[in-house]
Amino acid sequence: MSNTNGNTKLRFLPTGSSLHKLSALLTLLLLILAFSFTSPAFLSVNNGLTVLLQTSVIGLLAIGMTLVIITGGIDLSVGSVLALSGVVTGLAIKAGLPVMPAMAFGIIAGAFCGFINGLVITKLRITPFVATLGMMMIARGVALQLTGAAPISRLGEAFGQLGNGSFFRIVEMQANGFPKVIFPGIPYPAVLLVVMALIGGFLLQRRQIGRHIFSVGSNEEAARLSGVKVDRTKIWAYTASGALAGLAGMVLMSRLVTVQPNEGVMYELDAIAASVIGGASLMGGVGSISGSMIGAFIIGVLRNGLNMAGTSAFIQQIIIGIVVIGAVYIDQIRNRN
Amino acid sequence: MLDANAQEPPLVQMSEIYKHFGGVHAVEGVSVDLYPGEVVGVLGHNGAGKSCLMQILSGAMIPNGGEIYVNGQEADLKSPHDAKKFGIETIYQTLALANHLDAAQNLFLGRELKTRFGNLDEARMHTEAQDALRQLNPNFKNLKDPVAKLSGGQRQVIAIARAIYFQAKVLIMDEPTAALGPSETAMVADLTLRLKDEGIGIFLISHDMHDVFDLCDRVMVMNKGRNVGTFRIEDVNKDDILSLIIKGTLPDGWAPRGGSK
Repeated sequence: MSNTNGNTKLRFLPTGSSLHKLSALLTLLLLILAFSFTSPAFLSVNNGLTVLLQTSVIGLLAIGMTLVIITGGIDLSVGSVLALSGVVTGLAIKAGLPVMPAMAFGIIAGAFCGFINGLVITKLRITPFVATLGMMMIARGVALQLTGAAPISRLGEAFGQLGNGSFFRIVEMQANGFPKVIFPGIPYPAVLLVVMALIGGFLLQRRQIGRHIFSVGSNEEAARLSGVKVDRTKIWAYTASGALAGLAGMVLMSRLVTVQPNEGVMYELDAIAASVIGGASLMGGVGSISGSMIGAFIIGVLRNGLNMAGTSAFIQQIIIGIVVIGAVYIDQIRNRN
Repeated sequence: MLDANAQEPPLVQMSEIYKHFGGVHAVEGVSVDLYPGEVVGVLGHNGAGKSCLMQILSGAMIPNGGEIYVNGQEADLKSPHDAKKFGIETIYQTLALANHLDAAQNLFLGRELKTRFGNLDEARMHTEAQDALRQLNPNFKNLKDPVAKLSGGQRQVIAIARAIYFQAKVLIMDEPTAALGPSETAMVADLTLRLKDEGIGIFLISHDMHDVFDLCDRVMVMNKGRNVGTFRIEDVNKDDILSLIIKGTLPDGWAPRGGSK
């Protein structure tokens, strides 16, 4: 990742953000290689799918976070919004709504929280850090208040489908009557993440809203003078982030088949770390969905690999913290050249 | 020039414009008009209110009072978007470019070309931008570089190309040559005269007296938020203008000089 200095003079080599992405991808592959040696069980289909499943929640949050970070903002509320969306869905199911509409309701609740973030930031002119910090506390408080801080369980099997189901699962009945899993299948959350990342990348690169998101983060005043509706663009980004947090909440709570109002604490920091490792700049104007996905997987693989190598959760935190700082530092060195 | 235009309705008429920030009166009851094919110089000290007045016309600032008519039609300019709909384009002193975007992306920012599916039509925007930029500067390269990497002159060319690509009727140029070298300044002067010949009305904010006397048909001088005089360029000389800018009044015993520069 550090052998990139001086390459910028050679025209045929990728430069700028694509270079960053390439180096991040290289880091990811190196990590996978390293962990394959430390733990023989790491490089298996089963574990690969586990990583996919574990990363999907952070990945979904990171898509929304990337949109917001490119506008030059930040969304600290996603972890709490995730919990609140889950609570809304859980209560809706308990009130007798079928699973699908209840989940839609939860995602709408998440989008609404994001919309409020956007309004507070643009109309009340509160900085994104403070506005979403407030929403982080409000959403968590509402989630705890609505449930009395108790988990909502017995939501039925259908609620667990999204988080635990998979495509192409192959199970063979053995002679002794026990099923044998030949291929565990591609988990729904992983497919959902890929679909959402593709949609996010498409909106960001090929649609007007994406262009406006970049322009707002690059130079807000220039964007305004050029006729870009800056407020509307920002509100759009925060609403998308809220909706994706809601969706991530559905995936997480469905996997547990229980709604936990305490879930998702500090997830916003993982999502921010994923975006930043993937090359997004907190100053705005720079970032990509593909980069953030690589960033999310770097975090996911690190967690999983360190777990399998028997590293304690505390040491994991330290290592991920160092990775975040290192990624940003290398990016800065390159930008100085 | 002026006599021929006198029968036509003005392209832009700003009347009794007021703008204040708290207790500070930036623009106080200023009226000014602009005819097709005319260059009007807007002069004054820093803080005299000229930029403020022009920002009101470009929709970047909302006045506290007064009316604006474009082609005789009342124009309520609440945003730069509104002003652009009336054909009012602005070349800002700051250039108003997004540093992370490339030339074409900046040129079409806010007015992106789209395919019939509503996606961004990058290919068409790129070729159109290339044509527009090459017209102003045949050597324009690096179209794919973010504008942060371009020279001051190239950035200025993008800002100018953006203003004229969309068929401006009224052009506001805020210190268009402040960041340019001699050859690029000459290019901007040529361009100004060419646009004027095409019947575009131009407001030119400038501190450069050479530019003002070379390019303008009329000058309007602001002092402490007020319009202290609008004159045909033949009727004043440099000292008269400096006196207006500094003191807000003409020299004692002034009479129209009638072209005797």
